[in-house]
Amino acid sequence: MSRTDVMEHEDPTIEEPPGAPERVRQVTVRGISARVSVRPGTGPYTDAPPLLLCNGIGISFEAFGPFVEALDPRRGVVRFDVPGVGGSAPPPFPYTIAALSSWVTALMAKLGYREFDVLGISWGGGLAQQLAVQSRRRVRRVVLVATGTGALMVPANPKVLGIMATPRRHRDPGYAAEVAGTIYGGTMRTHPEQGAALLHSMTRAGPKRGYYYQLLAMTGWSSLPFLKLIRQPTLVMGGDDDPIIPAVNPRMQARLIPRARLHLYDGGHISLMTEAEQLAPVVETFLDEQDTNDSDTHAD
Amino acid sequence: MSTIQRIEQERSRDHGRLDATDVDPDDHALETPMDMILADAGQSPLRRMVPGMSGVRAVASLATKPRTVARRTAGLAAELVRVGVGRSEVAPARSDKRWGDEAWEKNPFFKRTMQGYLAWGEAMRELVDDADLDWADGQRMGFIVDNIVEALAPTNAPVLNPTVLKRTIDTGGGNFLNGGRRFLRDYATAPRVPSMVESDAFSVGEDLAMTPGKVVLRTELFELIEYAPQTDKVRTIPLLIVPPTINKYYIIDLAPERSMVEHLVRSGLQVYVMSWRNPDSRHADWNLDAYGAAILEAMDAANQITRTTSVSLLGICSGGIITSMLMGHLAATDQLDKVSAYSLMVTVLDQGRAGTTSALLSHKVAAAAVARSEEKGYLDGRTLAEIFAWLRPTDLIWRYWINNYLMGRPPKAFDILYWNADPVRMTAGMHHDFLDLALRNALVEPGKGHMLGSLVDLSQVTTENYVVAGIADHLCSWESCYQSTQMLGGPSTFVLSTSGHIAAMVNPPGNPKASFRTSEENPPTTQEWLEQASKKKGTWWDDYAGWVGDRSGEWRGKPVKAGSSEYPPVCDAPGTFVHDR
Repeated sequence: MSRTDVMEHEDPTIEEPPGAPERVRQVTVRGISARVSVRPGTGPYTDAPPLLLCNGIGISFEAFGPFVEALDPRRGVVRFDVPGVGGSAPPPFPYTIAALSSWVTALMAKLGYREFDVLGISWGGGLAQQLAVQSRRRVRRVVLVATGTGALMVPANPKVLGIMATPRRHRDPGYAAEVAGTIYGGTMRTHPEQGAALLHSMTRAGPKRGYYYQLLAMTGWSSLPFLKLIRQPTLVMGGDDDPIIPAVNPRMQARLIPRARLHLYDGGHISLMTEAEQLAPVVETFLDEQDTNDSDTHAD
Repeated sequence: MSTIQRIEQERSRDHGRLDATDVDPDDHALETPMDMILADAGQSPLRRMVPGMSGVRAVASLATKPRTVARRTAGLAAELVRVGVGRSEVAPARSDKRWGDEAWEKNPFFKRTMQGYLAWGEAMRELVDDADLDWADGQRMGFIVDNIVEALAPTNAPVLNPTVLKRTIDTGGGNFLNGGRRFLRDYATAPRVPSMVESDAFSVGEDLAMTPGKVVLRTELFELIEYAPQTDKVRTIPLLIVPPTINKYYIIDLAPERSMVEHLVRSGLQVYVMSWRNPDSRHADWNLDAYGAAILEAMDAANQITRTTSVSLLGICSGGIITSMLMGHLAATDQLDKVSAYSLMVTVLDQGRAGTTSALLSHKVAAAAVARSEEKGYLDGRTLAEIFAWLRPTDLIWRYWINNYLMGRPPKAFDILYWNADPVRMTAGMHHDFLDLALRNALVEPGKGHMLGSLVDLSQVTTENYVVAGIADHLCSWESCYQSTQMLGGPSTFVLSTSGHIAAMVNPPGNPKASFRTSEENPPTTQEWLEQASKKKGTWWDDYAGWVGDRSGEWRGKPVKAGSSEYPPVCDAPGTFVHDR
């Protein structure tokens, strides 16, 4: 913080959280201006690699709000909007996952982080896998949540894929509530309005083109051939009631990634946000482990 | 020389001074006059270049005057012959920066090219004048002919521009490689105009919008920023600023020492600013009422935090229109005591003939525009940016065309242009309401506009008010701004600042060229006002800080902390909404 804060907080009724405040800002990387939110690490996490969060398709970083709140407030967290989504400018041309991954690494370097942990959910999980392989010296630990291996995976049922093919659910709260149970599963089947609220409360809808670029980037991409190359300790999480990513996918990932551990939970596709209280500690425990070089045992 | 002539001189001088490198750059395109710009957003800039019925009428009119046309043609032919033999006296206007290169003066070929072009352009413009069209058609045809003439300037062609030729030799053609790259990048995404500033030239919160403060309230529509006091004593009554809804708020908190907010905070005011949310398709139904209610909400928060019962309101441009309608609502519901002073900046309430643009507005076009934004849910700020740019092609398009693509250089870093390239979407509801206001010119007559269920009658707004306009503002002409003093019921102070729409607002102290005019009284016409107005050196910021300070209650000790228990600080200024693209 370059500015001196001239405000004093002497009133006990206004409690500042023990961590540093989050700052949203625009950062331009390779000519594309991206909206980024950075919460610097404090206390024990001052020098620890921050956690980079990669979001699902078409969703701006606000959706991670509940999850970030459930984390230790002193942990460094970086969230960003993929170009063409939310508050980030659309890229001039379609991109590939490899190009986006290289762009994200440049973004982190520009923010001053040489090393970081990465967590990806759903579409962002694909990006996280690519990052782990492509920037192996930069990425320390990997968390994959409700994600698959791209084109070569056990697919969701066609009805779900049809709903996923357009960004309509991000633009139309009524429609979102109607389909939330079908596509997200878990608690969304009983409380669909929660999903609508999550996707609509404070999230930003980017242009439709951004969504289609994201779909296009994942088309034909698969991490299956290079899962063996992910050397980082990896936590694979998946829900037992996830219509988009059938549970067999995380199982397969955990089998193929050398140092992976599997954590299956009772829930759906976006449980990380809706049941953050239960899942955040699992992520924290994994991130705080001391690095050992013996292969982690597979849990089934 | 009469005052009127002097004013015209100043106006044209200010119009001519358009170099972004100037200390006090002139206004570069931005929002309003609502009507035409908002209506035109329904069609592409190319569509606006189609003369339509105006063209038909112009041709028909010229056809009835064969003699005039023949005289013009003969005059042009004679002039072109003189140019050819090198005896022409045609020279560019002093303010025309396009012909700076020595070659235009010394090289016979280039000199003839320039003179031929100038003579032809002049003849084209005179033909439009000859056609004797009515005001609206004349404006429209003038706009189209201007655009064509300026697009065909030899300076825009790589082989006819000596500066570009020299650069090509210097870089071995690298300028076109660079320029080509820039061209692709610019034209791949809207707005499809040459970029006037690098996207990473500045960054909000790092070198723009730096005045310290906290967001004390965040709603769906806005973030309310409370600025930290910088004096030991502050005025009791807070000042709430309502920025435009078509651009980001940070034009009033541009950079340190170039920030109106900072200036007002340093004069001892408690300043609150609303930072509007950049809406998207989900917010299509946010209309004037929603924005009016938001201002009320912000007023209540500022009152609760400062433990007061009234605020001073300051509305800018479209924010000023909403504020004025809200004042109408407060007057109708007998709540005017909630506002102790009320100010408008570059705001046009009487849109009868707001500058160059309303000529182009028609019901049909407006309806098409509204239909288009309703389909999308919003009006894209980038579309507006394109329209603004084409309003002043030489300064806002061709200059950057030459610099970015032909010379292959990055555009200069300039904060106002960065802000200008950071537009906000407008909800379909707002778009509809604004156009409706403009078409009916609804604020002029009592009871034609409505806000939060009340009929708006501005003559009932008896609060003291302060109205600011820019002399070279071609979007909200100062004459139109002046009408507010006649429409409002309260005593008005009218201030006419130097420069245009934006530069009038960014008017920091220390600029030797800055001055403003003001007068004790506000007679019915602008001419009478000019006759009696006196000119003062310096910036009107100081005058305004004094005026609003006098109406902001007693001095008291500064608050030790931001917010209150009911409105705890959410995050630091500039908040999060300002970052939404």
